[in-house]
Amino acid sequence: MELDEFRPALDAWLDEHSAALAPSGGVGTLDDEMAQLAKVKRAMFDAGWMRWGWPERVGGLGGSPVLRAYLGETLTTRDLVNAGGYSMTEVLAPTMIDYARPELAAEMVPMLLRGEEMWCQGFSEPGTGSNLAALSCRATRADDGWRVTGQKVWTSYAQYAARCVLLTRTGRTESAHRGITAMFVDMASPGITVRPLGTMHGGAEFCEVFFDDVPVSFDRTLGEEGQGWSVAMDLLPFERSTSLWHRGALLNRRLKQFLDVADAETLSAAEVGDVFLRLHALRARSRATLNRMAAGDRLGPETSVDKILLAAAEQALFDLVAAGFADAVLLGDDASSERWRAEFLYSRAATIYGGSAEIQRNIVARRLLDLGAEA
Amino acid sequence: MDREELELFRAGLAEACSSHTGKALDDALDELGWRDALEADRQAAVSALFEEQGRANATSSALDVVLASALGVDAAVVLPRLGRWDPPSDGVAVRGLGTGGLQRHNGAAVVAGDAVLIVDTTDLTLRPVGGLDPALGLVAVEADGLRAATRPATWTAAVAIGHLALAHELVGSSRAMLQLARDHSLERVQFGRPIAAFQAVRHRLAETLVAIEAAEAALGAAWEVESPMNAALAKAIAGGSARTVARHCQQVLAGIGFTTEHPFHRYLRRTLVLDGLLGDTRALTKQLGQDLLRTRELPPLLPL
Repeated sequence: MELDEFRPALDAWLDEHSAALAPSGGVGTLDDEMAQLAKVKRAMFDAGWMRWGWPERVGGLGGSPVLRAYLGETLTTRDLVNAGGYSMTEVLAPTMIDYARPELAAEMVPMLLRGEEMWCQGFSEPGTGSNLAALSCRATRADDGWRVTGQKVWTSYAQYAARCVLLTRTGRTESAHRGITAMFVDMASPGITVRPLGTMHGGAEFCEVFFDDVPVSFDRTLGEEGQGWSVAMDLLPFERSTSLWHRGALLNRRLKQFLDVADAETLSAAEVGDVFLRLHALRARSRATLNRMAAGDRLGPETSVDKILLAAAEQALFDLVAAGFADAVLLGDDASSERWRAEFLYSRAATIYGGSAEIQRNIVARRLLDLGAEA
Repeated sequence: MDREELELFRAGLAEACSSHTGKALDDALDELGWRDALEADRQAAVSALFEEQGRANATSSALDVVLASALGVDAAVVLPRLGRWDPPSDGVAVRGLGTGGLQRHNGAAVVAGDAVLIVDTTDLTLRPVGGLDPALGLVAVEADGLRAATRPATWTAAVAIGHLALAHELVGSSRAMLQLARDHSLERVQFGRPIAAFQAVRHRLAETLVAIEAAEAALGAAWEVESPMNAALAKAIAGGSARTVARHCQQVLAGIGFTTEHPFHRYLRRTLVLDGLLGDTRALTKQLGQDLLRTRELPPLLPL
């Protein structure tokens, strides 16, 4: 299946089925959002669309990852799914495909694609934000498997997740990135406690996750023991390819919705033009990244450029929205105002989550500009 | 051109641009067969030459050649005044700019509305422009009471290819500035270590690279999805990026970059003037914003 064929066929199918798939009600709760995501993924999987772009050995139908990029874009721009929740699939399925035992990947990935399960990603810890290699959630060997004890934080959708791709410390703390092991953990395991965090934008998608002597069998290890850093480094570019494309598509959609009702008299044309230029540059960059991925290139630190462009564009867009819709964002209590306000507040974190703006610039300086070590 | 041919072609252009400028570069380009390449593979010819020309801080008549080719004429092409991209003439009078190549060409193409007039260059009043970047060799063009045969021409197509050419030149110039600043940051020692070790310096250089990559991405997309809008967006992004690049690189280069003993000042001059040709980033951005507010529609988004 090529994109030229996929695109019109999917568009036609969605024209027919979108109404039935649309969320009932307005801005829902996080429970509603998750139920909606599961419903749409299930329908898209059963109709075959969700299987394109994934290998056959995990229930896919093969084809280029560009097909997935288009699917997520169109689901996002039709307001059928929230780009954030949807992105977990794009980030975690490739990790399983690359690093899980083939039997495990074949068993688990279809459940994620079909929306039967939500998964989460346990990376950050209270003492490990930007310095991921210092993580301390410990896994020790017992006769029958790993025992995990420690804490994760900023774990998106953990309260809904059936599984977690978890980074643990298996070597000594001083071994830094060499002593990390990734594993695939059942969230129903004994000893796991999830506590959602209240955040300023209102949605409680981020959680703390506590592990108290949690058993994980050895065959759930992703990659080899001590190879967890590679798992993490290979996962991050997926956050910055298909997922980033979906997020960029959502931002264009929101700019259009803003323009639909904005009061042109009160807005600065230069500022509006600047926001579109940023979104255009982001889309052009992301498009080139997807094309490289589709051509078989291994994505790496250059995707930090994509992330930097996304964060700046997202904040510029919602700065414009906050100025143009000041009444709604500051004082409004209707559903539309609440959504604009939540998105404005969420955009404040665009330079913080997924590797802060500073860390991204450090990566560009070190890895792309080859400036040597920092003072 | 295949990959290998392209690399050879590019290396030849790089060599020509670093050794020659002005008339001598025009001659060197003729020898390299650049005009033939322009007809055979427009993207390769335009992107490679203008980027190398920008990188080397050289000048040539290439912009005239590219615009003339889009207009279907054999002449130097009168550009609009600084910051503008509408046709420079109303059919009777012309007020605009010309490259150094205009003085070397007998015929000048003057676009008015949907028509192009070919006039004798001697019928135009040409005044060399010194200004910020005398080395660019621009001339101010003026004439009244033009009389010449006209033929139809699409200015939009000429502006689009001109936008792409200038954007590539801005990217080349930006890359040169980044290289100067990067090299300096690794050599310049303060507090016992190269200044490249300090995060404040590293982040400026990182911002610089991000700005250049954004411009390159917009250019790549404009060639793949050809439209006057995508070309204008690429020019606006490249102009804004070049200004960002110049600001950060000048700060990293600090004292030495402020002297005329260092080449940085030539690039700063060049990027500011190139940004002004066929619409500067401010004017293009403002126009874009006005159109968005008026139509309440986004331009067609880049397809996957």
